[in-house]
Amino acid sequence: MASQTAFSSSGSIPALLLEDDPEVVSHLVVHPLVLLHVLDHHTRRQETDGRVIGTLLGRRDGDKIEVTNCFAVPHAERGDEVAIGKDFNKQMLALYNRTNRKETVVGWYASAALSEGKGLIADTSSLIHEFYAGESDEGDPVHLVVDTRMQTDSIAIRAFRSTPVTVLGEPLANLFHEVRLSLQSTEPETICLNQMTKSHDNNNSTTKQKEDLALQVSMEKLYSLLDTALQYVDSVVEGKVNPDPEVGRQIADTLACVPRVRPEVFDRLFNDSLQDLLMVTYLSNITRTQLAVAEKLNASLGV
Amino acid sequence: MAAVIDAGERVKEVNIEGLALLKIVKHCHDCLPQMVTGSLLGLVENGVLEVTHAFAFPETRNRDKNMENDSDDVAGGLEGHEYQLEMMRMLREVNVDNNCVGWYQSMYLGIYSTTALLENQFSYQTDLSANAIVVLYDPMQTAHGNLTLKCYRLTDACLEYKKQGKNTYIDPNNIFEPVPVKLTNPGLVRALLADMVVTDGSASGDLLYNVTTGGASLTVNADTTFDRLDLSTNPYLEKHLEYLCTWVDELAAEQQKFQYYTRQLNQRGGNRNNNNNNNKKEEVDDSEGWASSSAPKRMESLLVSNQIRSYCNQMDKFAGGSLGKLFLTSGLHKNEKAAAK
Repeated sequence: MASQTAFSSSGSIPALLLEDDPEVVSHLVVHPLVLLHVLDHHTRRQETDGRVIGTLLGRRDGDKIEVTNCFAVPHAERGDEVAIGKDFNKQMLALYNRTNRKETVVGWYASAALSEGKGLIADTSSLIHEFYAGESDEGDPVHLVVDTRMQTDSIAIRAFRSTPVTVLGEPLANLFHEVRLSLQSTEPETICLNQMTKSHDNNNSTTKQKEDLALQVSMEKLYSLLDTALQYVDSVVEGKVNPDPEVGRQIADTLACVPRVRPEVFDRLFNDSLQDLLMVTYLSNITRTQLAVAEKLNASLGV
Repeated sequence: MAAVIDAGERVKEVNIEGLALLKIVKHCHDCLPQMVTGSLLGLVENGVLEVTHAFAFPETRNRDKNMENDSDDVAGGLEGHEYQLEMMRMLREVNVDNNCVGWYQSMYLGIYSTTALLENQFSYQTDLSANAIVVLYDPMQTAHGNLTLKCYRLTDACLEYKKQGKNTYIDPNNIFEPVPVKLTNPGLVRALLADMVVTDGSASGDLLYNVTTGGASLTVNADTTFDRLDLSTNPYLEKHLEYLCTWVDELAAEQQKFQYYTRQLNQRGGNRNNNNNNNKKEEVDDSEGWASSSAPKRMESLLVSNQIRSYCNQMDKFAGGSLGKLFLTSGLHKNEKAAAK
């Protein structure tokens, strides 16, 4: 069986994709956890293995698939033959189902093969894809490839789905179409990612960060953004830059978001909040004092 | 447990990998509002505990009938400990570090000082390894750009205390000790993050980006700088005060138990005093009385006071930050007022 890849070279939407059909998967959303897992799995591969594969778990919603989790599956490739840990996959799926029942098999991932001259999709991919067609609920799995060959400066990520090509009723080949892929992260994930990049920038930083310093950074950034906006508006007013209605509308929208608070109302708000906070601080201090007394008493008891 | 780590020295620091952290975060958020636990895998190297993988524990099985579908496969029926062993065996096959180095739990608004956690951690530290740790992640407090991740273990003093089954006083500060946590990532992941995470806010605000073909990478906006400027304080403080009240009530109840018990002891001692007026006898009796099995457990109240203290600290920290922000806002408005005049 031969496999073939179909890319459109210029546009962002693959040429052969049937966008209108709601039954066909056209959009894949991936969470960062999955990508990190693939890379981790790839670094832990057996020395002899060219690439690693695993199962993608997630949800399917019409033509959109959201991949939220995944696990590694052992496999071996020799020439045109491929062996997949079928029992392993089944067992692992059962284990994962115990902790999250909502996630189902939606496809599989692979890191790119290191061997010479091959593209992102190897000949054996068709066979593995067929196996996953049997495993997934919808029978139409997606294939995620993380390019770990490091031939370029970046780690490229591609998503595919496959359709069989038949000639005169004979299955001849599988055609892999590229699917639109995007990355999504929830708020806590975003926070984690942010922390990660920060800790790379500064190797000595621990989770304890100086709050006030962070506040200063935030404010400075806010000021610089405001300055940029101000400069733009000024230069438009002075006629140096051609006005762009779209930008103007966006600036107006942003300004409209700022609530107009009258000074006396603000003073009242300010004082209320201030009193609340002081009260809380006072309460916590008094509790702490009481606690110290209680501990002293407790310590003297029954010694 | 399958693997026991060599407990040569106590670890000074915990390095947690991004993958493990994301797994913990995902599990804790998926299962809200339930509080969940899981296992940490990794290894100890040069006094640093590296956490490289994490997996979730299943919820304790409720014996309802809607689970017929997995009654025939083996894994679906496994209970707690067996589940762990099975999972580790499976992960071993794909070359994941096969050392259990501790466990994680989601905590609700910083509640960690409980008997359950103490007992659990004690059994980990005595049965598994002296270096076992517990990582606590707070899904409620992780907001506004702050990640709340804590790592604790029991102090030597507390271990000794638990081993001897004493019922005496121990300084509440000395029960748990925090271990510094650091986030690390292997090279490939760092390369990917550098590509995909946008932190300078140059991309527009929404999180969803279309991929471009031809090898260009995906991006996700991970800029949390401005989330920090959020001014609302009330829900957070309200919850804290509410819990603080509950804890204080609990402490009072514990104290009352003590009072009652001491009175009983005194009465007994008093009776004996009338008989032979021996003060020393009474003191001996006193300490014996606290060691007896009927005496109230002193650990309970100590844990509660530990909890209250950490609450006070949390509130102080939060109030401090909020005061700063409040005055900042007032400064902004002063400018506006001056401009209006």
